[in-house]
Amino acid sequence: MIDNQSVYLAISAVLFVIGAAGAICRRNAIVVFMCIEIMLAGVSIAFVTFSRANQSLDGIFMVLFIMAVAAAEAAVGLAIFVLMYRKHGSIDLDKFNLMKW
Amino acid sequence: MELVFILICGGLAAIASLLVIFARSTLHSALWMVVSFFMVAVIYVLLHAQFLAMLQIIVYAGAIMMFILYAIMMLNLRREQDERVPTRNIKVFGLIALVVLFMELAMVGLRQGIEALQGPVTDQLVAAHGRVAVLSNFLFSDYLLPFEVASILLTAGVVGAVVLAKRTK
Repeated sequence: MIDNQSVYLAISAVLFVIGAAGAICRRNAIVVFMCIEIMLAGVSIAFVTFSRANQSLDGIFMVLFIMAVAAAEAAVGLAIFVLMYRKHGSIDLDKFNLMKW
Repeated sequence: MELVFILICGGLAAIASLLVIFARSTLHSALWMVVSFFMVAVIYVLLHAQFLAMLQIIVYAGAIMMFILYAIMMLNLRREQDERVPTRNIKVFGLIALVVLFMELAMVGLRQGIEALQGPVTDQLVAAHGRVAVLSNFLFSDYLLPFEVASILLTAGVVGAVVLAKRTK
């Protein structure tokens, strides 16, 4: 245990839930993407907290790789949004039913 | 004192994240997102992960927000059309499930008496060698394979983005 461990974990939970709520409620694809980044930030705080509590660097490396994956995800995801916009003229997620049968 | 600081940063991060969701314009969402990322970086500093805080500011607040702002600029988005789509049941159930999830997370976080492991990275080691030196020692020995895989992933991401966004004649 480190000082204020519960406070850090509470912040992490709050950020995760706020991000998830935004991802559920908003229809703009870019805002949903940003909400997913908020969820990742919440998870990262929990990783760093436990990494410090356990005197280990594993959590910190996890966050490093989360950042790398988030960067790749941003590049590919935003390219897909541009493509969707060119095809349909909007990035409203409720209007996309490509995967629906 | 430290607790007050943590609470201020965490509160600001939560408020900025809420404003990301509630802002009407996508551009304002993106700018609140930057505030949120900065606050998360401060929390990393409070957790003695200064290197990660720097990376957070450079990678997230710098690079990824740049991506997002460019995308907003290229898409020329109007304010979200208010067609007053009726709220779907699935969204309501999703939010209820989230409240339950939050309670579960809070219960786990508040649990007392979890034994911490005594890992190799003690404060003495960090004081003797410096934080970045310890970090890079582990990164280029134990974590070499994930590091290389991450570099391949980033290359694939860049190539994929270019291929996707290229106009086909």
